[in-house]
Amino acid sequence: MIAPAVLILLAVILAVPAPVLLRRSTWLERSPRIGIAAWQALSASLVLTVLLAGLALAVPEIPWTTNLAEFFRACAMALRERYATPGGAIISATGAIAALAVLARVGYSLTRGLVGAARNRSRQLQALAIIARPHRDYDAVVVDHSSAAAYCLPGRRRQVVLTSAALTALDESQLAAVLAHEQAHLHGHHHLILAAADALQHAFPGVPAFREARIALSSLVEMLADDAAARRSDRLTVATALVRLAEHGLTPVAALGAGGDSAVTRVRRLVRPARPLGTGKTIAAVLATGALLALPLFLAIAPASAAGTMPPCQADTSTSTAMHT
Amino acid sequence: MVRQLGELEQAVMDRMWSWDHPVAVREVLEDLQRGRNLAYTTVMTVMDTLHRKGILTRHKEGRAFIYRPALTREQHTAAFMGEVLAGGSDRTLTLLHFFEQMPAAEVARLRDALDGRVQDETGTGQ
Repeated sequence: MIAPAVLILLAVILAVPAPVLLRRSTWLERSPRIGIAAWQALSASLVLTVLLAGLALAVPEIPWTTNLAEFFRACAMALRERYATPGGAIISATGAIAALAVLARVGYSLTRGLVGAARNRSRQLQALAIIARPHRDYDAVVVDHSSAAAYCLPGRRRQVVLTSAALTALDESQLAAVLAHEQAHLHGHHHLILAAADALQHAFPGVPAFREARIALSSLVEMLADDAAARRSDRLTVATALVRLAEHGLTPVAALGAGGDSAVTRVRRLVRPARPLGTGKTIAAVLATGALLALPLFLAIAPASAAGTMPPCQADTSTSTAMHT
Repeated sequence: MVRQLGELEQAVMDRMWSWDHPVAVREVLEDLQRGRNLAYTTVMTVMDTLHRKGILTRHKEGRAFIYRPALTREQHTAAFMGEVLAGGSDRTLTLLHFFEQMPAAEVARLRDALDGRVQDETGTGQ
């Protein structure tokens, strides 16, 4: 019973304190790509940990041996023993159901999110077909509107949308920077990164790790696109374009400032010279991200392989006695 | 085909919005036919669709329907963009905003962040 307990403990650590640590680390915005990978790894690792904890409950620890016949015999014995005790069957069933429920919930949320988004996009494209004009020089459509805005509709019929006020607000180089930013979103399929994060947040509301991941990822994909735009023009042009759009995009409703902090962070980040992570730190970050993903697998397998060093039957009895107490 | 219908919808609405009076399908068809060859039923279907979408309103006059835009072009565009900018529940999934709409105080902070750099530059230059 060690593996499930350890995995559940790990799940709690990943769900609550880990996102706080990750949010505080300053290197995330220096290299948004690694930052995105880190948050995704945290989310994936948490889901994996919960799944494995369920599986570890469902399946008794099987002594790990390279002798196949021996292995199967041990499996059969362990299972028979597990189901011979009423408590054991209940624990197994709970674990299996929990793992299945988590999988089903994630799958459902993701499907629902993607289908809903596709429907919404298609509705918007239809509306745009009536009111928008293709831009004369760029691969974008223009809508007559007094509020400056630029956004993109991802998907098969990807489309960058600009308002006429945005065209007035931006000079040519700033417009090019904005378009490069939007193209970076489209080419990088950033909407899928956010869709996955959204799905997890909706599937398990109240889990700090998923909530924090969603917030962090939405600003990290913007930074990633900012960096792409800065490579095409320069950082100060991108920052200026951001501010110009904000100045001309004022809405009378003051309640919509959700993105404010993230926007200020982006501008501050752009006006400072780029400080990409050094090779050493990049390697360390990549290794840490990999370790984050590998940890639950290791913890799920380690007790079983440790059990493999003991005689099979003895390992089984120890499991079942642990259960009775 | 979908794309062609989209273009046709745009062509119809362009005319409906530029004309200041309610019209029958026949009138739109005759104007559209100056540019291309179209069947009456095609234009009728498009206008029926626009009516179903709530973009056109219509009433019966004799045997034919008379159509007019539900909103002016400006109103229609403002309604659409207002919805986009205010954001539906799943805005983040649909669009990636270059910039969130933000209150004036936030914009002032942004400008300060940008000016900070400019001042730094002049400061070090002296």
